[in-house]
Amino acid sequence: MTGNSLKVLLVEDNALNRDMLSRRLDRAGFTVITAEDGAAALDEMRANAPGAVLLDMNLPVKDGWTVAREAKQDPALAAIPIIALTAHAMEADRQKALSAGCDDYATKPIDFPALIAKLEALL
Amino acid sequence: MSDSDDTSAEWAARIVEAAGPLKDAMGRRTVSVSADERRDLDALLDALARLTDLADQSGREVKHDRLNIIGAVRGYSEMLAEEASKLHPSIAKTLPPLLGAVESPVALTGKTSAAKAGKQKLVQDPGVILAVDDLPENRDLVSRLLSRVGHTVITAESGEEALELLETMGVDVVLLDLMMPGIGGAEVLQHLKNDDRLRATPVIMISGRQDMDQIVACIEAGADDYLLKPFNPVLLQARISAGIERKRWFDREDQYREQLERRERFIRATFGRYLSDEIVEEILESPEGLNLGGDLREVTIMMSDIRGFTTLVEHLPPQQVVTLLNRYLGRMTDIILEYGGTIDEFLGDAVLAVFGAPKKQDDDTERALRCALAMQAAMDEVNEANVKDDLPALSMAIALNTGSVVAGNIGSERRSKYGFVGHAMNVTSRIEDAAGPGEVLISDSTRAKLPKALVVGDRRELSAKGIEEALVVFPLTEVKS
Repeated sequence: MTGNSLKVLLVEDNALNRDMLSRRLDRAGFTVITAEDGAAALDEMRANAPGAVLLDMNLPVKDGWTVAREAKQDPALAAIPIIALTAHAMEADRQKALSAGCDDYATKPIDFPALIAKLEALL
Repeated sequence: MSDSDDTSAEWAARIVEAAGPLKDAMGRRTVSVSADERRDLDALLDALARLTDLADQSGREVKHDRLNIIGAVRGYSEMLAEEASKLHPSIAKTLPPLLGAVESPVALTGKTSAAKAGKQKLVQDPGVILAVDDLPENRDLVSRLLSRVGHTVITAESGEEALELLETMGVDVVLLDLMMPGIGGAEVLQHLKNDDRLRATPVIMISGRQDMDQIVACIEAGADDYLLKPFNPVLLQARISAGIERKRWFDREDQYREQLERRERFIRATFGRYLSDEIVEEILESPEGLNLGGDLREVTIMMSDIRGFTTLVEHLPPQQVVTLLNRYLGRMTDIILEYGGTIDEFLGDAVLAVFGAPKKQDDDTERALRCALAMQAAMDEVNEANVKDDLPALSMAIALNTGSVVAGNIGSERRSKYGFVGHAMNVTSRIEDAAGPGEVLISDSTRAKLPKALVVGDRRELSAKGIEEALVVFPLTEVKS
């Protein structure tokens, strides 16, 4: 697997899914940092400069759309690619994620090989 | 809502059941597991335990939790399956059934209630039907009517739930109530029709007689059919069957399109580097005109090289040689593609291009001639840039010859490319050897197709040892004004 030093920020409030995804990413060769809410996500982005962000949309404190919008307006963070993780079936929600500034999206339940392909395409 | 109504509860129950053998295997003391796998297995068992805990509960929140947990179960079991070779065989073999259960919310095999009843005649082509209605009695009725004849029925009690379910499972027909609190039938329909992957799923609207205006609007928005409440069971089944047939037709069309796309990718991969985008597009539009297996055709062949290149760069550092070559070849490639030539090969400083394959055009020879002149003209620019970078100026010789070659995908199974073979190729090479710096030397067969606007200089004869016949060539001089 490529990208041993690749740092990914995983933002997900559901502990079970957070643990599972971070474990899978870790095994796929990524360095994973995590955040449980939207405000913490922005803090982590500033403090740790991840290579990419996997962002759940329904988050406490600050939702994913707000996080994406604020990150893309901040010159220091704008270049970090964001993949929205959305449980929403609706095309409109995906569009909303993209128009908030997310670079791509993945629908839950996550198709892991497809997610890795998207990550690699953005990195 | 009743337990039987929540598809996620059934799904969870199937997953827990499918995980039984895994739990048994893990319970056996004799089975050894490495620390790494132990960690994932524990996480998986933990998630399964939570799923079991939720078994008797219901409600929207519970359903949300359940789907989250199923996501985690799926993730851990996929991860473990990827490393199955490291697992004890007695554990590894329990994973495929679990993965199967996790993958699809609908049991793919198993008894339908119809089979249990054993009376009602089954439909020939059963499908997966999503019935969306906010009233439990309506859902029950539709479920009973349709599962009795062999269909698999999934139900949703709201538009939101319907969209969530559509996202995760393959549905053949959607039976959609128009009037629902929250996201109504019309809105669900609109979402479906805006989604590339769901657009082809047939939708049958259900409504009361008083809502006819809205039904008409739904049909205009892409609904396939409608039923008025209270509906006739026979009519319902007939419309569902017609919907399934339509869906199968779409699916076949989808497969066909996928085949075409695969072919397109192949053609792009084969030709993308040698042809201009325009010609690749044209080939894609009429692939039947393209014989990759090999055919004999008349083409105009172009060979060019830099005179004395090896001597010229003998004392240059390798990096500069590459800069020099790439600048020159880059410019020549642009020009050849612009004139519709097919670049067959770069051989060091030499370029081999062909006009007239894979696509034959009336003016192949003329374009080749004009291309050669344009290439010579562009050398001034290339050299200007070279001098600026302290690199040597280059002079190029070009040979053109028109004749028959075999064109096709040539090579072994491991490495093949679209290429050309034939005597005409060797002739071109001989002319190329005789061409002077800055010259475009053309064969007699190319001259025979010379357009009026172009002129040639004095005839020359090339003789070579071992070849009796002298080769007649002409230098292409200039464009008449």
